[in-house]
Amino acid sequence: MIKVTYVAQDGSATTIEAEEGTSVMQAAVSNDLDGIVGECGGSMMCATCHCYVDEAWEERTGARSADEEEMLEGAAAEVTGRSRLSCQIRLDPSLDGLVVHLPEEQL
Amino acid sequence: MALAPLDEEITLDQLSADPYPIYRRLRAESPVLRVAATGRTLLTKAALTKAVKENPELFSSDDPHTPMKPAFRAHTLMRKDGEDHFVERKAISKALTPKMIKSDWGPLYEQMAEEYVSRLPRGETVDLFSELCGPLAARILAHILGIPEANDEQMQRWSQVLIDGAGNFGWKPELFAASDAANDEMDALFGELEHKRRAEPDGSAYSVMLNADDPIPMSQIYSNIKIAIGGGINEPRDALATIVYGLLTNPDQLAEVRAQEAWDRAFEEGIRWVAPIQVSSRRALEDTELGGYDIRKGDTVMTVQASANRDEEIYEDGENFFVFRDKNPHQAFGNGPHHCAGAHVARRTVGKIILPMLFDRFPNMSLPDPQAVIWKGFGFRGPINLPVILN
Ligand code: FES
Repeated sequence: MIKVTYVAQDGSATTIEAEEGTSVMQAAVSNDLDGIVGECGGSMMCATCHCYVDEAWEERTGARSADEEEMLEGAAAEVTGRSRLSCQIRLDPSLDGLVVHLPEEQL
Repeated sequence: MALAPLDEEITLDQLSADPYPIYRRLRAESPVLRVAATGRTLLTKAALTKAVKENPELFSSDDPHTPMKPAFRAHTLMRKDGEDHFVERKAISKALTPKMIKSDWGPLYEQMAEEYVSRLPRGETVDLFSELCGPLAARILAHILGIPEANDEQMQRWSQVLIDGAGNFGWKPELFAASDAANDEMDALFGELEHKRRAEPDGSAYSVMLNADDPIPMSQIYSNIKIAIGGGINEPRDALATIVYGLLTNPDQLAEVRAQEAWDRAFEEGIRWVAPIQVSSRRALEDTELGGYDIRKGDTVMTVQASANRDEEIYEDGENFFVFRDKNPHQAFGNGPHHCAGAHVARRTVGKIILPMLFDRFPNMSLPDPQAVIWKGFGFRGPINLPVILN
């Protein structure tokens, strides 16, 4: 199991234990976490799973793809250099302890 | 395993008049059911509809026999899978992002909403559906798409004709004759405007597609615009009418929505409660199983998102309009690769611009006779009239 911590705008943090191979979006949605909608189910079509990767983890989560980049243009909240679509971050053991921050709005 | 039970009682007329009591019964008794009148297997539980939509490898959108083909004179992106779909979708969705709407178009849409709302007469009974919801949706869409030269009447007529053709499962020639005529009109207009939209790029869908670095073929640019005409009017129109109805028949909720400026929540609840697009179809590419029944390769399943959106497993009291529910993970915009490309546009224009403006200009708007409102539709659903008194 891989631990992921989601930090909401108000600073409150929720840590979820997720199975290897699932995405940061799936882990959030299947645990009913507020702040990630994941409307398209991870098809990279909705941009309602936007998150900001914590600085400490940027290297390890890797870069966003060109398609992801384009889809992020559709995100409701501000997009920064640390913005990712959480459905595109697959969890493997190297991401155990990952911290992501949630945007102000997804819709 | 066995095939799902076959129902020969349910009629299309019943589904069009009021499908909700039927769906409620099916969710409880028979969530996977072959319904003879539709020629399809209906799926009425949220988990099933979501699972099907999110598994395009097994459940394809590609339907070689869809009446959409003759209706649009093209194989449109709605009925494609994988890379073919993705390329076309990407080409148009650039024009539909919130950023585009906020920064480039917001002020224009406000101004158009302003114009349409302010021409409504005060103190009289007005059919908001035909006087505002339809025309305003048409005007905004014409601008988004880059064909503002088309008037409201044309936009609405084309949309209806395309929808009728796409749903022409009885293959009636007169419906395709009508869609052919509409296609000719649209093709002529697009042709006329091509040069201008190329020469003066403006962020509209047509302009974005024409000026892309690696543009998709012209025929697909046309069919993408047509798809957006076909689907882009009735959804915001029906959503708006449904939400206004929901709020006017629940004054306590309206007061709370006003106090909290929760128009976006009202929007989400309206489309959950009565999803403008109620059902979608997917074709099984392999023998498989759903909810304990065999689905044979080649069978078409119908995901009933209208029913998923009221599933008791997710919603307490899902039959009622209630803006302030804790969670609202509805499927009105679909799931998976075909998740509605216009979702952001609808949320922004209807939820953030039109609704607050309408209730601000007519703070005492009332619906004197809710019984007079007629609801209709199986594939697409919404009120077909909305007689309100504007004050
Ligand atoms: S879940 Fe839709 S883009 Fe990530």
